[in-house]
Amino acid sequence: MKKSLFVLLAILAVLSFPAFAQGGGEAASPKIGFMGPMSGDYANYGVLSNNSAMLAVEQFNAKGGFGGKLPVVLVTEDSEGRVEKGLSSIEKLSSSDKIVGLIGPVLTGTSFAVGERVQNEGIVMISPSATHADITNIGDYVFRTVVSDGLQGEVAGHYFFDKLGYRTIGVLYAKNDYSQGLYEGMSTAFKAAGGQVTIAEAFNVGDKDFKTQLTRIRSANPQAIYIPNYTAEMAQILEQASQLGMKIPFLSCDGFSNPDIYKLAGEFTDGVIYVGPAKVKESPAFNTFVSQYTAKYGVGPDSFATNAYDGTNILLAAMDKVYKASGKFDRKAVRDAVAATKDYPGVSGTINFAENGDLVAYQGLYKVNKTTPEYLGTFTVVDGKLVQID
Amino acid sequence: MFNFFLLILIYSGIYALMALGQNIITGYGGMLSLTQAGFFAIGSYATAILTTRFGWSFWGTLPVAFLLSALFGLLIGLPTLRLKGDYLAIATLGFGEIVRNVLNNWDSLTNGPMGIQKIPMPILFGYTINPYKKYAFLFMIFIFVVIAYLLFQRLARSRMGRALTAVREDEIAAQAMGINITKYKVSAFILGASVAGIAGSLQATFTLSVTPGTYTFMVSVMVLCMVVLGGMGNFKASILGAFIIQFISYFPQLTGLSGSIPAQFQQILFGLILVVMMIWRPQGILGRETRRYGSASGKSKGGAQ
Amino acid sequence: MFTPVFSCYRTVQFSYEGESIVGIAEFFQHLMNGLTLGGIYALIALGYTMVYGILKFINFAHGDVLMVGAYVGLFLFDLLRGSSPLGLWTITSFFLAMIISMAFSALLGMFIERVAYKPLRKATRLAPLLSAIGVSFILSNSAAWMFGTHSRKFNYPFDNTPLHLGEVVITPHQVLILVVSLAMMIILKLFIDRTRMGKAMRATSLDQGTAMLMGINVNRIISLTFAIGSALAAVGGILIALDFKVYATMGTMTGLKAFVAAVVGGIGNISGAMFGGILLGLLETFGVAIFGIPTGLKDTIAFGVLIIILLVKPEGLFGKVEKEKV
Repeated sequence: MKKSLFVLLAILAVLSFPAFAQGGGEAASPKIGFMGPMSGDYANYGVLSNNSAMLAVEQFNAKGGFGGKLPVVLVTEDSEGRVEKGLSSIEKLSSSDKIVGLIGPVLTGTSFAVGERVQNEGIVMISPSATHADITNIGDYVFRTVVSDGLQGEVAGHYFFDKLGYRTIGVLYAKNDYSQGLYEGMSTAFKAAGGQVTIAEAFNVGDKDFKTQLTRIRSANPQAIYIPNYTAEMAQILEQASQLGMKIPFLSCDGFSNPDIYKLAGEFTDGVIYVGPAKVKESPAFNTFVSQYTAKYGVGPDSFATNAYDGTNILLAAMDKVYKASGKFDRKAVRDAVAATKDYPGVSGTINFAENGDLVAYQGLYKVNKTTPEYLGTFTVVDGKLVQID
Repeated sequence: MFNFFLLILIYSGIYALMALGQNIITGYGGMLSLTQAGFFAIGSYATAILTTRFGWSFWGTLPVAFLLSALFGLLIGLPTLRLKGDYLAIATLGFGEIVRNVLNNWDSLTNGPMGIQKIPMPILFGYTINPYKKYAFLFMIFIFVVIAYLLFQRLARSRMGRALTAVREDEIAAQAMGINITKYKVSAFILGASVAGIAGSLQATFTLSVTPGTYTFMVSVMVLCMVVLGGMGNFKASILGAFIIQFISYFPQLTGLSGSIPAQFQQILFGLILVVMMIWRPQGILGRETRRYGSASGKSKGGAQ
Repeated sequence: MFTPVFSCYRTVQFSYEGESIVGIAEFFQHLMNGLTLGGIYALIALGYTMVYGILKFINFAHGDVLMVGAYVGLFLFDLLRGSSPLGLWTITSFFLAMIISMAFSALLGMFIERVAYKPLRKATRLAPLLSAIGVSFILSNSAAWMFGTHSRKFNYPFDNTPLHLGEVVITPHQVLILVVSLAMMIILKLFIDRTRMGKAMRATSLDQGTAMLMGINVNRIISLTFAIGSALAAVGGILIALDFKVYATMGTMTGLKAFVAAVVGGIGNISGAMFGGILLGLLETFGVAIFGIPTGLKDTIAFGVLIIILLVKPEGLFGKVEKEKV
């Protein structure tokens, strides 16, 4: 028995040799990392955003790379949507791959944990989708190209009150950081404007049956129902609401921008008004991006993937600037360059970072007309008041 | 790369503690319990809340985690005693899920799905044991595992170990012999629970944040896998099992293959391990511990050293 | 008419300032919802209870067979149906798809039994349980690997526009679920009580050894049990999929809850499974709707009920107490 044990350990040791052998061979080509859930419940989001990162890197290298001759390498790690894996991923990316910057993580929970780590190590991080208000407070190495929950919730709350004229709203949200964050943000703003959240029902991640909650909301009869959730759940909610004979209009969040919703919920999406990414009027860059993306991957990007594309390009631009100035890729210098990004022409609009790494941006409002989203306008909130930009 | 390997060792150590606890309950007590995730969570959150809200030091939270988990072990152990294997499994799995659900919903205490961040690193005699620089942390885990191992080994050799073995083999006969099965079964539960609580504490202070999503029943199943793979009733084996399973878990990242090997593959592997081990080698890789006075269980072939 | 009036506790952090009295219409709506949920549990519980009755073993993988049945049903239905509009052909192709899926699942169930459980018949209690957990893992993760982790829509083969009965709204599909579970239960009962095979199954469940002596091919009976159980799971899976979409992990939680239902009703008892399923569905719905249990804790209701039943009446509501003989 001792023998087989030794054999087993020996095999394991041999198998991990390639790992040790990896050393620092390719010190020349700089690496950046992407982290997101590539498997598990949220795999769709990770995959879509990773596609963007890959596309951006490909295009960059096709143009010659840094200084016209040095390509960048993208290393993708699967966080599985779990904090543990997120931490081991950043461990690998940071110490083995020695990445210069990170795109991701996708999910808020992982972003908190990984954010602490990158702040500690001094690696710049740009998340395309972690929306919780507190994330950029972790430190000056944490940025995001997605609008914080804080703003989205505020715009939502004020828009529903001012523009749609609702005075009572019901909410059906999931007990996860994304959904609950949006609910709390919207609620605060809506109440501040003078409205009432007359009923708020929650469900657990993984639940698929919302009839009980919807029945209660139906009885409370609010003027509209806010559902700040991920795509699959929202599809279920819309369908089940119709099965309960409910006619109350629905309001939603940027999760609704995922084109999958129309596949899953079909005609039930008609009439839904949601807050999404602000659209730059007549943006050819955006349309080009979408067609390139779709041609390459067979599916369209969601708003997070769009943010990931911009985030990657910003990082690459920053790295390029640093390389041109110093011939090296110092992590701190790269971070500073990212922070100094001014009026970057991204496909999701002009990008500027606020002092704390948040995106200075606006939100777009959309209304679904028979499975096609129509753009209603660009908004933001200044000093507690809704302001229409476009 | 070596750093990554240290990370695996640290996680192995934390899970080894849970595996040791599982071994007492399942390997010695013969009870199929899937509770470790629940106690793991309790320990983690105890540390998280006490350190971030009330400014306790990590070391102060350890006994709290220990006692709190032990208490819940008692609360779960007592009513579920009468349950036979299958029912016990589901009931204990249910407990784990209940804990996770409560943590996810009790916003005022646990911050709900957002979890708790910025847990301070442990400080010993003015020296910060930094999880990012792994050596000191690994050493700390190592000490914990060694202590747990020695304690449990001692226990196995003692009256309790023998009593549990008797209970596992034939409950009615054991009862007829005057063994207080309630006392021993519940004790096993409490021990298994408290060591999982300590593991939870260590996890919280290593990852520096806690979220309810970490403590799914996958954790309980993984721990069970570790014990099954290593060898039930053998503490060395539990530690080995912990290492192997964690190694498999992180193998793709270690070797840079995480692009090509999807996460599902590992889980399928765990499933296969369970099925194959049960059919082909139920005593695990190392088999059961043999006792000096001859094999009491008749299953110790392969365990002789 | 009995109008339940309960005050709802604060269910969420931001307490809502609305009505806290449950009206009649809402009550009946919840009742309908609970019944259909229960119907689903009942259907799946039947499979669990059958296997347990014969083998005294919980097939953890049962929920995942349900998932396989749903996927197979989905692919077949989409294939057969083509692009026909809702009508006779869609209904026919739906039933064809279901029948083929049932057959496939039956084979799968028998295969699993043969490979993962049969070798462990003489082993300790623990072994087949662990093996079943392993099988469950393999099934759900293989499905996720092969089919992806996103949900797929299983279109209704008929027009599922809701019917309004006063203020209560139900869909034809909900009715279908209830009808099918009831029908399955009756058919199963008749089969077990009135046919020779059924008799053989009952004999095997009472005492395997004696049944063998009586000339019953126990192996075949066991295979048959798994086959029937798995086929039922497939039906359950497809019916669930229509409402809740098809995805790799659809079987796990539902399977667990169906198990709880089987236990509550009395494991090994067919009518018990039906009753337990309905009861659990109602408890989950009313627990949240009327008794103010936070919706986030909905799942805990099932496990809570399990623990209570196991403490108070472990043989289940319809079960017989089994004395453990030395």
